[in-house]
Order: sequence, then structure tokens, then C-alpha cells
Amino acid sequence: MAVDITLLFRASVKTVKTRNKALGVAVGGGVDGSRDELFRRSPRPKGDFSSRAREVISHIGKLRDFLLEHRKDYINAYSHVMSEYGRMTDTERDQIDQDAQTFMRTCSEAIQQLRTQAHKEIHSQQVKEHRSVVLDFIEDYLKRVCKLYSEQRAIRVKRVVDKKRLSKLEPEPNTKTRESMSSEKGSRHPSQESEEKPATEEYPEKVPAESQPELGTWGEGKGDDELSPEEIQMFEQENQRLIGEMNSLFDEVRQIEGRVVEISRLQEIFTEKVLQQEAEIDSIHQLVVGATENIKEGNEDIREVSTLGPPRSPQCGTTSGQQPSSCWHGCLSALLGPNPQGSPDGTTQSHLHPHQTLGPHYCQET
Amino acid sequence: MAAAAAASIRERQTVALKRMLNFNVPHVKNSTGEPVWKVLIYDRFGQDIISPLLSVKELRDMGITLHLLLHSDRDPIPDVPAVYFVMPTEENIDRMCQDLRNQLYESYYLNFISAISRSKLEDIANAALAASAVTQVAKVFDQYLNFITLEDDMFVLCNQNKELVSYRAINRPDITDTEMETVMDTIVDSLFCFFVTLGAVPIIRCSRGTAAEMVAVKLDKKLRENLRDARNSLFTGDTLGAGQFSFQRPLLVLVDRNIDLATPLHHTWTYQALVHDVLDFHLNRVNLEESSGVENSPAGARPKRKNKKSYDLTPVDKFWQKHKGSPFPEVAESVQQELESYRAQEDEVKRLKSIMGLEGEDEGAISMLSDNTAKLTSAVSSLPELLEKKRLIDLHTNVATAVLEHIKARKLDVYFEYEEKIMSKTTLDKSLLDIISDPDAGTPEDKMRLFLIYYISAQQAPSEADLEQYKKALTDAGCNLNPLQYIKQWKAFAKMASAPTSYGNTTTKPMGLLSRVMNTGSQFVMEGVKNLVLKQQETDDYRYFDPKMLRGNDSSVPRNKNPFQEAIVFVVGGGNYIEYQNLVDYIKGKQGKHILYGCSELFNATQFIKQLSQLGQK
Repeated sequence: MAVDITLLFRASVKTVKTRNKALGVAVGGGVDGSRDELFRRSPRPKGDFSSRAREVISHIGKLRDFLLEHRKDYINAYSHVMSEYGRMTDTERDQIDQDAQTFMRTCSEAIQQLRTQAHKEIHSQQVKEHRSVVLDFIEDYLKRVCKLYSEQRAIRVKRVVDKKRLSKLEPEPNTKTRESMSSEKGSRHPSQESEEKPATEEYPEKVPAESQPELGTWGEGKGDDELSPEEIQMFEQENQRLIGEMNSLFDEVRQIEGRVVEISRLQEIFTEKVLQQEAEIDSIHQLVVGATENIKEGNEDIREVSTLGPPRSPQCGTTSGQQPSSCWHGCLSALLGPNPQGSPDGTTQSHLHPHQTLGPHYCQET
Repeated sequence: MAAAAAASIRERQTVALKRMLNFNVPHVKNSTGEPVWKVLIYDRFGQDIISPLLSVKELRDMGITLHLLLHSDRDPIPDVPAVYFVMPTEENIDRMCQDLRNQLYESYYLNFISAISRSKLEDIANAALAASAVTQVAKVFDQYLNFITLEDDMFVLCNQNKELVSYRAINRPDITDTEMETVMDTIVDSLFCFFVTLGAVPIIRCSRGTAAEMVAVKLDKKLRENLRDARNSLFTGDTLGAGQFSFQRPLLVLVDRNIDLATPLHHTWTYQALVHDVLDFHLNRVNLEESSGVENSPAGARPKRKNKKSYDLTPVDKFWQKHKGSPFPEVAESVQQELESYRAQEDEVKRLKSIMGLEGEDEGAISMLSDNTAKLTSAVSSLPELLEKKRLIDLHTNVATAVLEHIKARKLDVYFEYEEKIMSKTTLDKSLLDIISDPDAGTPEDKMRLFLIYYISAQQAPSEADLEQYKKALTDAGCNLNPLQYIKQWKAFAKMASAPTSYGNTTTKPMGLLSRVMNTGSQFVMEGVKNLVLKQQETDDYRYFDPKMLRGNDSSVPRNKNPFQEAIVFVVGGGNYIEYQNLVDYIKGKQGKHILYGCSELFNATQFIKQLSQLGQK
């Protein structure tokens, strides 16, 4: 277990101070020293990079707190039924959505700005790397907070979509196909059941519309006394069948709905991946362009050399691996030399591979 | 409880490291926590300790933006705390003082791998005062982490300066007393750190008259001193938890390398030991050189660059964890199996792709869509898993292929079998001379190893004439005879010093003896396929130390008769993976018993031969 020797260290500091005082060595301990320390501190560049970075972090923190605070209310589905506490109207929700989105956008813009600024300033390699990693951390933090937001928004959207579908009352075009009728009926059916909206007055209108080809208007049909029992039975059967069809179609539609949501989620994942690959493809493109240039130059050099005629030095013909003459050396180096030194798989190594560990850098003793 | 307390030395060390990286406050994962960033500065010792335990990604997760070597050029980075993890040596302290003077970082968290002396602490205090940076030094800690954990149950003492504590360093004839003291102190310091991290005070047993005994005496003294000092004792903190209250204390068995020189030379057949023997394998990282293609390059063309690849064999590598102790043919088969199952999964995903392609045209078949959407979702979510699997399969295919090439080129299977036979005293079908003179079989080093094993395990030394014959054959094959010189001396000394040790031949007999021995409260384990069995009276002859006892007497009668649940076998003078594997196999059958294996350095046969050769040169 680790042992905290900070107190021991402070004691040592005191010891050294007293010892130095006794020896008469001016060290900067005492009152002057502390003032000296403070004085030393202030001209240090306070690093506005880090202060700005911390600002961004505190902003994101505020957003996170805000989202967490109102999360319960936001998600609360039965707010229109339950008590006054924690009720949130849709407009309020919209407001939160909008605010959160603008906030996130400004935060990510701020991060981008910091990034470009950090790159522009001339600093050592280590400081640059440190800053880019710090910005990565901040971006990651922003992503995590955005996830909070997107989760609760997804829930809300899903619920709204469901509601909308259920409560949709579209005007019917007078079509002859049964399916469209049935599907409309299908959409009506659940609305009748769940919303308790008085849609029933529309329903009787549909039945006559369907039976229109067969019977004409309802009024006419009613007036017609010659509805034979067979026909009634037939109509009843048909009704039953239609109800059955409706139910099954309704189920299918529900399923499709769920799947479409899944597909949209998959689409999101795919777009993300495609965007990632875009960056890689860009770099590959650069490399290929560079390689083509090099090959072109190489070809030109070869052409040049070949037009120069046979080499003068007698050594070139030997095969014992001796040094080639200067002209061959030149063209060989042109061929083999300037290789675009990308990493083997063509991706730019902007960060270390996650599976890499700290390499032991010693010379192995055999 | 005891088993849980000492569940894994690796976990304990990792937890300790993470706490240190978290500014010495226990680390708690928080998904919406604010990012904190810091810089990690280590020396080579620190690097060796951290690298098998934490990957770069894990360091990033802890908020480390940069990790740098202490003795490198470092630029000032304003406004960032720096965590130092170094050994308290002169040069390190000097460099740290320099950093303080140059005001490189915002605040400093100093962590020393093993305890720092008071005078060095004052040096730092001095520098801090001079630089007016005393308030910047936020925390100073002694971490007591001066050992390297390679596996859940295996550790070594050091990697950087291992020649200081190598077999050669301990056994060379011209060593002075002070040098020996230094070596012993280094070993004891690391062992002490180990037990502090483990959180338990062991009962120590060691053989007499060896370097192991010196280590035992010193370790006992150090533990005793620490326990007496009630205020500062490292073993009574409430962070120790279960280990403190359990009545089970671990047993530390200190063994000297000289007991058995044949095992480090033995050709092996299990995966991890083979990789260590044949390839470049350090700190769980293996470096392969893949030469691509063209052997005869045309005149004047530059030779193809050899492709260097290095792989990390980590605890998350499931294949490695499962098969590192398996015999090599089994490993090859398993890689094949894994590859096939991976291909099957890949085909499944591809099939989905083609089905989805068809779907776009056929509007009406919505029902088929349903099933496939679900499949597609599961396929997409399992993609990262698949990719990881592929990476591991590639890794192990490459490693196994490299090992196989060595085996084929050097006929290592022949050597393995032959050595087995020698060590178990069954009749040999081929004469030793034949193998040595065979130009195809193995490198000169392999032949030397074989002969040394023969020489070591022979009951009587071969006659002079035979010996001359062998020597000639070996020299013809290109071997250097210096190791033989040393082994001769060693054998003579071993004969004089203690009762003859015999190499048992069956696997059942030593198991019985060992289980009896373990149950009577003492234990000596160093066996496996090649078995070294100590007779009962020898283990009783072992010295016994209990640092918790008030009177520091070293009676050879074990006071504690309770059977131990946990044992730590530590080899002074060096160890290897073969012994580790033997221990793991041995303990597999026993419920509730735990063995940890440690050694002062880890060498493979090549390195050991080199040391023997240097010793034989005197």
C-alpha cells in the first residue's frame, strides 16, 4: 500500500530552511521568499488555452446539470394526466431541445476554434500533442453529455410519432380497392380504441362507401327492402373477414414501424462509419497522388539517364554488390528513395492505436 | 477469504497504479464526469512496471495526455499537473530537482517506486525551496511497487538492470561481500514491496546454505522491523481488508537456482514457454521480424526491408489466456478452429448483405425484411467483436507460424523428446553422440543445451574418454565449451554440499509426496514433466522464519501446522516459463489452493547459456 509522505516532505522543507538560515545561505525562505514566490508566479503565462478549455468544460457541465435536472419532467409521459408538479408542456420541451442544440453547437464550435488556434501557435511538439489530447477529452465529454440529451429526445420523438399515427384522421379518397379501405379502417380502428375520440360518426360513412359499388348510397340501400338474408349474411361474413384483415394489417403496420425505427438507427451507425472512412479515404487519396507524382518523376529521371547513353564507369556491370556508379545511384535512389512514408495501412496516425502499450525501449541483452 | 484477498497480484498492482494516476485518490468511474488531464513522467523502471498492466488507451482513459521518460527533453507545459513515477536514485532526484527549477509544470505529484531515503527527500526539499516551488509539490508518496507483474500469478523483480541480480552476479566466484550485500538488498527490497502490495506477512521457508537463505534472513529482518514500528507499519492499514483478518497467511518458499540447472536449459513444448524460448518476448510483448519474399536480390538492388511487427499478449486476449500453457500442436489446431468459426460468422454477415440487396427490389416481401432487420442489427452490433476476433486470430497465426518455422529448422521436437527421456531415465533410442554430430538438427546452442542436460542428470559423470569424444563432437558442431566448465564445477560443489537430489521419473509419485508435504505446513515445489523430488527429510531441514513472532529465532521446526492455502515460490537466481507452467498445471487439480511464481530475473535458455559461459570462462 502506498505511503503518503507529503507531511514528511514538508517537515524536510522546514528542516532545510532552518538549516540554511543557520548556515546563512540566502535561499528565499521566509516572508521575502513567499512574496518572491508570488511575484515569480504572476508573470508566468497563465496559458489562456487552459483557461478557455476550462471555460468550455464548465459550460458543458452547466448543460449537463440542466439536462439532468429536467430529465424526469421531460420524459414524463403522462404529464397531461398527472399532477401539477413536474408538468412540462410540449412547448417547454421544444424550448429545451432548441436551447440544448444551440448550446451544443456553440460548444463544439468553441472546441474547433481552440483546436485551430492551438495548431497555429508555435509551440513544441509535446505541448501541441498535449493540447490536442486535452481537446479530445473535452470533445468526448461533450459527446457524453449530448448522449444524455439525445437519449431523452429519442424517447420523446418516438412517443410523439406513435401518438401522431394513432390520431391521424385522413380524408378518404373514394377508391375501389379493398386494401386501401381496409388499411384506412385499420388506422381508424386503433384510434377508436385508444383515443376514445368520437370517430364513430365517420365509421358508418365508410361502410356505405365500401358497399357503394354494390348497393349504392346508404339511403338508397335502406330504402330498398329487398335485402335478402343471403346478402345480409354475405355482408356479415364480409365484415368479419374485413375485421380480421384489418387486425392483421394493423399488426403488420406496427411491426413495420418498429423496424423502420431500427433501420433508421442502423442508418445512423452506417453514416458515422462512412464519415470515418471518408477521412481515411482522403488520406489514401493524398498518398496515391503523391505516389503518382513520384513515379512520374522517376520515369522522367530514367528517361533522362537512358538518353545520357551507357555509363562510363566499368564497375556497374559487376554483381558482387559493390557501390554502383553515381548515375545509376541517382536513378536508383529516385526510384526507391522518396517513398511516401505513410503507415503501412495507409491511415494517418493521428493518435496511437488503442492496443499499443508503452514499448520497453531498452537495448536487449542477449 | 484468503484466496480472495490474494486473488490476483496483477489486479492489486493495477489498482494501486490507477489510484496513483488519479492523484492518489481511489479511482471511481463516472460516465458524465468532467475531464481532468495530467502528464505522466516515468523512468525506465516505471515504464517496465506500467507497460504490462496498462495500455495507452487505458492511460488516456485515466486522463493522461502525455507520457514521457524522465531523462528526455521535456518542454514546459503550462497549467498541467505532472505525476512522477520513478525510482529514488541519485540521477532521478537530480533531474527532478532540475524540473522544479525550470518550472516545467503546474503542480507535481511525486511517487517513488520504492521508499526514498530521508536525505534524498531533503535534496528535493532544497531544490523546491530554491525554485520557490514548495507549494507546487502537491503530494509525495512511496508506492512500494518495485516489482513487475507479468501474469495474474507471476512476477519478476526487474528488467532494466537485471544483470545486477542475475544468476551470474550471484554465483560468480570473484564476488565481494559488499557486492553480494547490494544484490541481496535489491532483491529483498523488491520482495518487501511485493508483500506490502499483497497486504500479507508471509511465513518464510528456505533451503540452507544458499543465496536463498541470505535473502530469507534479510527479508525476515526487514519485515520484522516494519511490524515492530507500530506507527508506521505498512501491514496494519485498514486498506488491507480481508488479508488482515484472515488467519491464513501465505507461505513463501525461497529456492535457489542452483538446485536445478537443467530446467532453464530444457527445450519446451508449451506455447508461452516456446514463444519465450524461440522468439523475442519481453514484458508480454513479442517482436517478430517478417522478411518479405525475395531471397536473391538482383545486383545493386537494395534488399527488401524486413517488416518488424510486435504484438502484445494481454489478459484480454482470450485465446492466449486459454492456450498459453497448451502443447504446441493443440495451439495450432485451436487457431485453425477459431479461424473457421470466424469465417462462418463472416459468411453469415455477408449473406445478410446479399439478402438485403435483393430486398430493395421486391416491395411485397415485407415479412422477410422483418427477420433480417433483427439479424442485421445483431450483426452490426457484433461487428466490433468480430473484428477483434480477427485481429487475435491474425496475431496468433503469425506468432505460431514463426514458432513453427523455428521448430522445423532446428528440429526442436526431437530435442524435446530426447531431453524428456534423459531426464526421466528411460532408455535412449539414439545415441547422444549421433544427435550432436547431426548437422541438420539444431543450432550449436541447442546441442550444448542437450549435452548439459545429459551431464547434469547423469548419476555418474561420463568417463574421460567419453567426455573427450563428446567435447570433440561439440566443438565440431561449433559450440563453445565454457558452460561445460562451469557445470562441472557446479556439479562437484553440489555433490559436496547437500544430500544428492534425484530426478524422479513418474508423475504420480511426486504428486503424493508433495500433497503430503503441503499439508504438513511446508512445501517445496519445482516439478512437472521433469521431476525434481526432494526427500522428506530435506524439506524438514529447511529453515523457518516467521516475522510476526516476537522472538527472532530460526528453529527448523515449523510452528504453524495448519495447511497453507496460498504459496509463493520465489527462485533466487532466475526462473523461466517452464517452471511457471509446471506450477500452474500442478495447482489446477487442487481446490482452493493458490500458487504465485516469482523470480529475480526471467531468462530463456539462450541468455542462461550466455551467463554460464561467462561463468565458465574464469
